Amino acid sequence: MECVVQGIIETQHVEALEILLQGICGVQRDRLRVHEICLKNNPNLGNVASEVRLLCDLEQPEPTWTVKHLGGAMRGAGAEQISVLVRTMVESKVSKNALRLFNALGYKLDHELLRVGFAFHFQRGAQITVTVSSVNKMLKLHATDEAVPVTPGIQLVEVTAPASSENYTEVASAVSSFCEYLAPLLHLSKPGVSTGVVPTAAAAAVSLMSDGGGTTLFSPHTTRIKTAGLAWSI
Amino acid sequence: MLLCSGIWSSPRSQCHTATTKRMTIKRVLHWQPNVGTSVNSQILNEVSQCVESINGVKEGRWKATLTFYKPMLRDQSLASEFPRDFLGIMVPECPNKYFFVIRTQRIVLEADSTIQTIMEKLQSYKMRVALNFEGFQYQLGDFQLRVGKVVPTHSENLRGIVMEVEYLPISSIEKSRQIMEEFLEIWQEALSKRTLPGHFMPMEPNFIEYGLSDHYSSQHTAVQYATVMAQLIASVQSVQSMRN
Repeated sequence: MECVVQGIIETQHVEALEILLQGICGVQRDRLRVHEICLKNNPNLGNVASEVRLLCDLEQPEPTWTVKHLGGAMRGAGAEQISVLVRTMVESKVSKNALRLFNALGYKLDHELLRVGFAFHFQRGAQITVTVSSVNKMLKLHATDEAVPVTPGIQLVEVTAPASSENYTEVASAVSSFCEYLAPLLHLSKPGVSTGVVPTAAAAAVSLMSDGGGTTLFSPHTTRIKTAGLAWSI
Repeated sequence: MLLCSGIWSSPRSQCHTATTKRMTIKRVLHWQPNVGTSVNSQILNEVSQCVESINGVKEGRWKATLTFYKPMLRDQSLASEFPRDFLGIMVPECPNKYFFVIRTQRIVLEADSTIQTIMEKLQSYKMRVALNFEGFQYQLGDFQLRVGKVVPTHSENLRGIVMEVEYLPISSIEKSRQIMEEFLEIWQEALSKRTLPGHFMPMEPNFIEYGLSDHYSSQHTAVQYATVMAQLIASVQSVQSMRN
């Protein structure tokens, strides 16, 4: 299970976002270059349509593979009151034959993407991961060196945190609280709920990029935020 | 030299969550009954006693599992489009890992054990039959031997007998080949004195066809178990066809 929110940001503001995230998270960013292969089952196979994702981390000295299954989102009145999406998620690290195996089992390529950017992994009430990446499509099958952006000038920001049926409300709360700090630059919401870029992004980015650090930003919720460079206070 | 005790034993690599670490060489053998005979528990007892008679020191129990998966199809007439030999294997050295083998297509995959949950959620393949390979393991100088019965889970119906022979100091298949062959000769000779109605069949799959290297790993073990299983099935089918 995981909690997840997404948002978009203009590429020109990504550097400012990175500065903000550096200040909030207090950890170094990791480079991100992931080839995501989405497979779907043969129509004759299984009683329901099923989808599985193969993720190849190209940033490692030797590419490493993960198989990931995303399940249905939590539904009901309780789910609607939570500002983050809660869904089942299971992943497994695998050796390099995953694509061959799933093809042999009757799973065929539906689409593939290359995500390029960076990620922050940190602990703040929950184990949170923030990824900022351009989403690229391949013009030829599996040709990651010839990928082009799906939406030039726009990057995807995703905030995820693993959860369980026992603690998802706490995790969701931690994710929501964290997202408030990013509000000057972007708005994060449940996947599928599009909010576009925020009007304050340009001004917030200018502030973050200005020399000397010490810039103070105010989130819509009047929580004072200072960038890294000065003591961080919440 | 081969059977002297007290020789060093090399530290064995543990399974790693990210990639397969090298392990020491292992050969998996299955019991091939003579024509007209079948496997039984007396043979298993004789084999175990033979190991102890050549100074094998009993260490404890071991268990591996093998599961046959079956595709869930809406139109059974299209079954030929999907693999009939899709196996899931767990080996005792790697309790947090799960291995998939499609032997006819020479595919082996090592995964975290959470892959089983993913397969359940996909609802495209379901477990059809699960077998346990279980018994005792013995230390014999630089070798570790495992003798085990093959039984369906939740049953004591003996379907076969297997044996693992592991040579601890080396992880290179080619470099250990001679010493492994010499050991197997000695072992087969010791066992032959008990005039049992059958013998152990040493079969070595072509690991290269599976994309595996000379350095032994748990993926090699999984492939061997899949191969042994195919042989056990062939033996049973052969017996059944003779009866018919």
